[in-house]
Amino acid sequence: MPLLVGVFDTPGPVREVADKLHGRGFGDMEIYSPAPFPELDDAIDKKPSRVRLFTLIGGLTGVTLGFAMQIWMALDWPLNIGGKPMASIPAYVVIGFELTILLGGLLTFLGLLAVGRLPRVKLDPAYSVRFSGEEIGIAVSCTDRDVAEIESLMRDAEAKEVTLVEA
Amino acid sequence: MTPPPPAEAVAADRVGTVPVPGDSKINRDLLSVLDAPTFKYFALLGLAIVGVLQAVFSLGYQTYHGLGVAGYSHPIFWGVYIVTFVFWVGIAHAGTLISAILYLFRAKWRNAINRGAEAMTVFAVVTAALFPLIHIGRIWKFYFMVPYPNQRGLWVNFKSPLVWDLFAINTYMTISIVFFFVGLIPDIAIARDRSTGWRKALYTVLSLGWQGTSRQWKAHNRTVLHLSGLATPLVLSVHSVVSWDFAVSIVPGWHATIFAPYFVAGAIFSGFAMVLTVMIPVRRIFGLEEYLTDYHFENMSRFILLTSCIVGYAYGIEYFIAWYSGVEAERTSFFMRAFGPYWISTWIMISCNGIFPQLLWFKKLRTHLPFLFVLSLLINIGMWFERYVIIITSLSREFEPAVWGLYIPRGWELSILVGSFCWFSMFFLIFLKVFPVVAIAEVKELAIHDKAHGGAH
Repeated sequence: MPLLVGVFDTPGPVREVADKLHGRGFGDMEIYSPAPFPELDDAIDKKPSRVRLFTLIGGLTGVTLGFAMQIWMALDWPLNIGGKPMASIPAYVVIGFELTILLGGLLTFLGLLAVGRLPRVKLDPAYSVRFSGEEIGIAVSCTDRDVAEIESLMRDAEAKEVTLVEA
Repeated sequence: MTPPPPAEAVAADRVGTVPVPGDSKINRDLLSVLDAPTFKYFALLGLAIVGVLQAVFSLGYQTYHGLGVAGYSHPIFWGVYIVTFVFWVGIAHAGTLISAILYLFRAKWRNAINRGAEAMTVFAVVTAALFPLIHIGRIWKFYFMVPYPNQRGLWVNFKSPLVWDLFAINTYMTISIVFFFVGLIPDIAIARDRSTGWRKALYTVLSLGWQGTSRQWKAHNRTVLHLSGLATPLVLSVHSVVSWDFAVSIVPGWHATIFAPYFVAGAIFSGFAMVLTVMIPVRRIFGLEEYLTDYHFENMSRFILLTSCIVGYAYGIEYFIAWYSGVEAERTSFFMRAFGPYWISTWIMISCNGIFPQLLWFKKLRTHLPFLFVLSLLINIGMWFERYVIIITSLSREFEPAVWGLYIPRGWELSILVGSFCWFSMFFLIFLKVFPVVAIAEVKELAIHDKAHGGAH
């Protein structure tokens, strides 16, 4: 399948191209940019990022584990101090909090790997060192007969360059 | 339509990290910091390593002969090691403050300084984490702190602030490293595309195959946002927990409710001072004036001024409350701080932290880098002495005059103290030549944004 790559200087036109292509029914595309841009944030994936789910699960696991660990350990060797409760919840807040942050943070990182599909061994054929420079690229997979249409669409949006990576 | 050369082919004709014409100027400028080190760099690194080795020797001597060699004697068993521990934990606060709290406030000026500050945070907390181990003398017993039942099946006491501290410091260390690494991934990918040899191999592994796709950036933004949200309460909690190591006891001079905010303000104060100490020479040596501008330094100076005022206020209110409480031991303890045998450390602390930074009210001085550099060194000294005053003077003058005593640091401790600075510098020097010291992708974000909008804001 041909893979067309358009190269742009600014994120605005890339978004335009992506929206138009979506409108015309092209779904298989990818945007490469040297920095994050709000314009491109939901250009391809409209749904909110699923990283939030990882943070939530990590945080909840952390707080549960933190309190459960301390309460269980206090009850495992009961030490009665002046008739006070065996498990003193207020004093356990600190470690409960720290473990919430710890597991929340670690799972957020796992979320980045899972959602961003990292780590990967081979880079995409459409990727170029230019996209870690200052240029932004949009790569579209299409059928042979659509190549001309997409190229003119990109050129109309003032692409600096349009190249065919795979014929 | 000719296909562009694949990534590997373009990168292969580059030598080391030498930039090629036509590449982004930001990449060229900021990656040039990674260029082959000069003789001076190796001399500095060598000096740092020698400093670390002499401290390792002192530590070995102390471990073999026992803590007695370190000048510990009744009634003072928390000495220079705990002072230095608190000092380095404090230094570690600026990085996360800049990367997390200023991120949530959308303070865009943080972009150029956050990487250096984050690296500093990681190295400072790694330095700090050594000191409780050095302090306990029998280093191999450190696992007594870990939740692990002893031979009678008894667990650690979760009501103890020292156990809280273990969790707080380790969580902070882990999260700072994760935060630092997440921010580095896109920049490592930039370096990967422009290097050969061992650097290429290292960056290829560490960049995790980052390509900057919109899906990756979206996940990355989310991750940074969530990590900031988690790190913000964390950074405020860590020094609070450290302060509770003291405040939860009943020692006069320690037993104060103001300790948590007082310590956090002091930590941010000393952290920003250390950022200045480190970044002013970096900017000068690597010619990064275009990226680390006077504007950044002025903003950091404002932070220093603000936190200096908070710290100065805390010093004042401590004395006021000691007097107002009417507690004899408190009053004596504070009188002895200012006029007792440790008077000199108290006055160093008050002048370096409360008085000298007030000069920053003058705008001219806020952007005068040689002045800022000297001031930041004074603040570092002052903040070390602040912890010295809090810990040593309070312990030396507790309730009973019969158990008053003096502690004078010996050479072994000072050798390990010097070693801790060398240990920190060693990591920072290595970092300078391995990873970009300014967050390239974040600087680019602003540059491309300006380009798209005609540079007007």
